[in-house]
Amino acid sequence: MPQESLTGQPSRLSIAITGSGGSGAVTTGSILLAAVARAGYYGLMTRSAGPQIRGGESAAMVRFGPGPVNGMDDRFDILVALDWLNISRFYDEIPLGAESLVLTDPAGGTVPAEILASGAQVVELPLKAMADAVAGGRLNMAALGAAGAMAGLPLAALEAAATATLGRKSASVAESAVACLQAGYAAAPARPVTAITGTERWNMSGNEASGLGALRGGVRFVAAYPITPATEMLEWLAPRLEKVGGGLLQAEDELASVNMIIGGSFGGVPSLTATSGPGLSLMMEGLGLAVTSETPIVVANVMRGGPSTGIPTKSEQSDLNLALYGFHGDAPHLVLAATDIRDCTFTTQWAVRLVEHLQTVAIVLTDQALGQSRTICDPPAEFPDKLSRVTAEIGAEPYRRYALTETGISPMALPGQPGGLYVADGLEHNPRGTPSSMAKDHAAQLEKRRRKLLDFDYGPWWAEIRGAGPLAPLALVTWGSATGAVVEAAERLTAAGHPTRAIALRLIAPLRHADLAQALDGAERVLVVEQNQGAQLFHYLHGEQALPAGAHSFARPGPLPLRPGDIVTAALATLDRRVPAAVPAAGTSPATTTPESQGHASVSPTADTTSVDRPAPTSAQEH
Amino acid sequence: MEGASTSTGYQAPVLKAKDYKSDINPIWCPGCGDFGVLAAMTKAAAYLGLAKEQLAMVSGIGCSSRLPAYINSYGFHGIHGRSLAIAAGLKAARPDLTVVVAGGDGDGFSIGGNHFIHACRRNMDLTYIVMDNEVYGMTKGQASPTTQPDWRNSKLTPRGTGVRRFQPAALALAAGASFIARGFTGDPSGLTQLIVQAIQHPGFSFLHVLSPCQTYQPEQKEWKHLVHEHAAEVTADPIEAARLIQADDGMSLGVIYAQSLPTWLPPHLSQASLPEIEAEFHL
Amino acid sequence: MSDHHPEHIASVGEFLAHALELEYESAERYRELAGNMSVHNNPEIAELFEYLARMSDLHAQEVEEHARDIQLPQIAPWDYKWAAGGSPEANAAEQDEELSYLMTPIQAIRLALHNELRGRDFYARVAAGSPDLEVRRLAAEMAEEETEHADLLEQRLAKMDPRRAEPVEDLDPPNMPE
Repeated sequence: MPQESLTGQPSRLSIAITGSGGSGAVTTGSILLAAVARAGYYGLMTRSAGPQIRGGESAAMVRFGPGPVNGMDDRFDILVALDWLNISRFYDEIPLGAESLVLTDPAGGTVPAEILASGAQVVELPLKAMADAVAGGRLNMAALGAAGAMAGLPLAALEAAATATLGRKSASVAESAVACLQAGYAAAPARPVTAITGTERWNMSGNEASGLGALRGGVRFVAAYPITPATEMLEWLAPRLEKVGGGLLQAEDELASVNMIIGGSFGGVPSLTATSGPGLSLMMEGLGLAVTSETPIVVANVMRGGPSTGIPTKSEQSDLNLALYGFHGDAPHLVLAATDIRDCTFTTQWAVRLVEHLQTVAIVLTDQALGQSRTICDPPAEFPDKLSRVTAEIGAEPYRRYALTETGISPMALPGQPGGLYVADGLEHNPRGTPSSMAKDHAAQLEKRRRKLLDFDYGPWWAEIRGAGPLAPLALVTWGSATGAVVEAAERLTAAGHPTRAIALRLIAPLRHADLAQALDGAERVLVVEQNQGAQLFHYLHGEQALPAGAHSFARPGPLPLRPGDIVTAALATLDRRVPAAVPAAGTSPATTTPESQGHASVSPTADTTSVDRPAPTSAQEH
Repeated sequence: MEGASTSTGYQAPVLKAKDYKSDINPIWCPGCGDFGVLAAMTKAAAYLGLAKEQLAMVSGIGCSSRLPAYINSYGFHGIHGRSLAIAAGLKAARPDLTVVVAGGDGDGFSIGGNHFIHACRRNMDLTYIVMDNEVYGMTKGQASPTTQPDWRNSKLTPRGTGVRRFQPAALALAAGASFIARGFTGDPSGLTQLIVQAIQHPGFSFLHVLSPCQTYQPEQKEWKHLVHEHAAEVTADPIEAARLIQADDGMSLGVIYAQSLPTWLPPHLSQASLPEIEAEFHL
Repeated sequence: MSDHHPEHIASVGEFLAHALELEYESAERYRELAGNMSVHNNPEIAELFEYLARMSDLHAQEVEEHARDIQLPQIAPWDYKWAAGGSPEANAAEQDEELSYLMTPIQAIRLALHNELRGRDFYARVAAGSPDLEVRRLAAEMAEEETEHADLLEQRLAKMDPRRAEPVEDLDPPNMPE
């Protein structure tokens, strides 16, 4: 097969900007993203930083193109090195190839051997001298001008973006920046400028997008305890909640924040909190209370490298097990995952509407790669339904808070409503809400809490299905931030003659068995792709008996992003495997890569599995 | 004393105390002090003329945390130690409600200790009634933070805890509570008045109630002979309050400290539309 | 804090308001104890407390009769002039010596007797010390009535099986409900 069709598409371009603290790498990246937007493109910017609060090395990585960009490429086309201090931290995060260009100022030091080893071409420009020639000039703006020319961006877009960003400081700062940009732009080897007419697009981070989804869903009360990388969502919400008549309460810890939103929601106000893995662990006790007392709440969990403090500044999809299984008792709830930055809005909005209607808990999983990355995207989709809380109508009969209804949803009285007095309880209770330890009450309430979630019609939003049509023999199943790379891998595989569909689950629990079975119908090979060590989605889907024979796992922990090329390689290995391997022995690690093989991901035999000896799911087994 | 302490001009309550009692029989042991809090709470509600649907009783877990079930109002019987968090969220979302939090010494001072500290300093308009019997009753008689260090009646601490007792009033003052009082279930009239004053106080009011446990601390029957009226007038001076609290034997009854401090509520500002907020994302 | 001086009751209206509150509280407390005993599976004593609650209801009705044409003052709960911290017949702390979920009929009647005597003492102090003659007369009548009730309870006690005077040994350890 033609190998070049499996690599990066020339229509999209990837640029990395690195530098030590004070060099302005992140500001440069933000201006580049804004310039990309002004030139009519879509774009994505991710960030990587050391652990220092100030002065650490950082990298901004921008990819842009004429269509939506939801993931990074296999390699970077241009590396802009503002300096070489501590560059070794980024060697594995910024893969380069022979076609890559490295922009640097020889006055800033020699290019490290590890960079040269990639075969990349070095473009040397006197960036510092250009900056020094301008009053108040800065090297990063000269570098941005040069990089913009090498990327084929119009100078006007760069100038306007810099002026808009830096003009807030002062007019002279913006003028100096523009002068540096112009000098760098003129000096660099230029790529032909492609002008495109962009449609209406937005510039938002994943955490902002999630915050907007919360507001759109009707959230008007948030309790917050800061944790990386979720804090920006809370910071974004704080002033905006006030503007729409709501409020945010900073809690003393996550035990408090989850219980505060339970209190707010009990009062009738749609409520949410945001956290990350360790915070979610602390909230589990409260989530059990919300499930049992049927108090609707949403927890937005922005995942990071774990366990424990782990790698808080970098991304990993390793909280799925916690979200699915972390609860005590039998506690049916919703687990959703946003498929890209733009989708953070839709999925969070949907989650709020779902919990309000179903009186349950939703955990919305995003991660650092979504939350702290910024996108130029189409305006986020709106959840079209008017799902809302079913409130009690008080009649002649005594009000029963936990009445056993056909749907399992019991109309909810709100404080202030005469005749609806009840005590919400974490103790098991009878339909009236009075504590009960009787088997029949426990059975009836457990059943209603499960039935209301299983019987609900979630509509077409349970997954994003992309790539080749339904007859494609290869299916990639994924979730969350891996979706961008998986969809791109499916496109490359299809273009290379291996029709491939990509299924990204937005509603992970309860699993839509019938919908997923239909989406997988006819697939000869299934590869489950995710960014964690334990193949958490793969094992969940197997536990739910939702995978056909010959399903494989491609699971790799963070913090390095999954790249489309890795997934293509793993998928091709799956296709090459004609005979399903044996079911792995219990306790066998499904790890698919060793540290040495990272970046050259392969499917290890132990990850293979088959369900030939397992019966297909039947309705009786779908709970 | 400040607050409602006079019958002059007093209007007949529309609802009587017993109208605030639910039809559920308490599971408390006969003779439990908590019956006194139930009676005083219902009388206070009647005195204040609270609409039942505007009253929310929030609790954690433990004997005393069963209180909301016995009161004819909205209520939330939550989880161990988290009552103040639930109540803070409810009050932030629904400032129109009268929110009264009830619990015990284990719930409030041990597992809920951090929430207690921050509820004091946040000074939201909540009333927190802690029924202190110096023991975990619901789990069969273990030492709580207020248990005497040499109390050897628990299998969990057969030689006693050997740990100095938690000082609720001192801690509340240090943490910034704006109203601190102590009551006794054996003084129903005084307790009713303290609950009324606590509810009327704008801000976080901490009412420490000595509530004997018949089952695990039978010697607390002696409390009725040991309690005495708080000797000083209520003070608004935290230094004076600290002196009084430290000098006190922990058995004095009355309002110790009441100070007018800013209460916390989320500012509910203008009614901007979502499109206005979304505009910031437009290129 | 409260005024613990029944003898300061100075008008018929004020006195009747106290008498009514005393009987209402008494009935309420007996009902609470009856419910509590039934929760603790002691139906015999639950029934006895129900009976005592009905007796208090009857006494309350008698007071209501007295008060029919009189405008009673509204008194805040803590402004009643009880001799101690609460209504004489309804203070849990005053009853704790006898209270137990395994309490016997003898213990229950002794508790009721204790209450009646506390009620009598309250009325007696009013009868002896009120500045108002009519209040003194009415209070003396009520004290007399409470004495009669106490006598009845004494007689009932005398007829009861003395073997049931002592508390029953509790063969079961306490439960761990939560």
